[in-house]
Amino acid sequence: MVKALNLHLYFIEYNIHPGGCMKRLLTLMALCVAAQASAHHGWSEYDDQRPLRLSGTIEESGYENPHGFVRLKTADKTWLVVLAPPSRMESRGLARAQLAKGATAVVEGFPKRSDAGELRAERITIGQKTTELR
Amino acid sequence: MSVWAPLLTMLDASAVARAMRGSTWLYPTVEVVHIVGFSVLVGSVAMFDLRVLGFGRAVAVPAAGRMLLPWSALSLCAIVPAGLLLFSAHPYELSANRVFQLKLCLIALAGLNALGFHLGVYRTAANWQAGAPALARLQAVVSLGLWIGVIGCGRFLAYS
Repeated sequence: MVKALNLHLYFIEYNIHPGGCMKRLLTLMALCVAAQASAHHGWSEYDDQRPLRLSGTIEESGYENPHGFVRLKTADKTWLVVLAPPSRMESRGLARAQLAKGATAVVEGFPKRSDAGELRAERITIGQKTTELR
Repeated sequence: MSVWAPLLTMLDASAVARAMRGSTWLYPTVEVVHIVGFSVLVGSVAMFDLRVLGFGRAVAVPAAGRMLLPWSALSLCAIVPAGLLLFSAHPYELSANRVFQLKLCLIALAGLNALGFHLGVYRTAANWQAGAPALARLQAVVSLGLWIGVIGCGRFLAYS
């Protein structure tokens, strides 16, 4: 209410006349915000109802922006495992050298809905050390 | 896409692209430059479009244009190089991404819309005391819609 009043005073001061057009615009903006908010939880391209735990060896890794990754060779196939931005991995103590080729890793995360070979990792364990990625 | 393949390969392997992927802070810093740039671009364009639509009549349309639009043009000097750098980090993934393709189409349409406006109806803006003509208002609404669409695509790139 106070905000609306301030906006009103602003319009008067700057000689802006919000007519029916302005009201429609504001309504439209409110609807867009509401639609996005409700769509947000359905947006995730990774299936958080299907947590997976994979263990294997690192075939290739990228300590890269916007997200690091490892190709993890498991018993049945090689997964593309999406990690976190390098800045986050660095600050949580997961150094580039730990994602070395041939290292054994365990990852927990969610598979991509549209790609059965891709997983977004929530955490990764290399040796005794587990790093949270979210 | 095949015509572009050698160019994409070259870009993907370039020192700049490797730096964008490999350096911890370069990528997010370039993102900030891109975002600050398009805040100025879309901010100034939106203010001008709203003026054409009849809001803020205390300032005449040509005066609003002289004040706002140089900032729109100048902001491109930050947005475009930063955008190209971001693109260079993952040129294959991005160029094949439908949301990215849509974003480029919307930018092209917004550019054509602005060009049409400035070569056309805007030339009579000195005589718009009674309000902008219908075509100008239509182009202002189209401009607002396209730029919001561009920002939407840019954001949804991270989720597609």
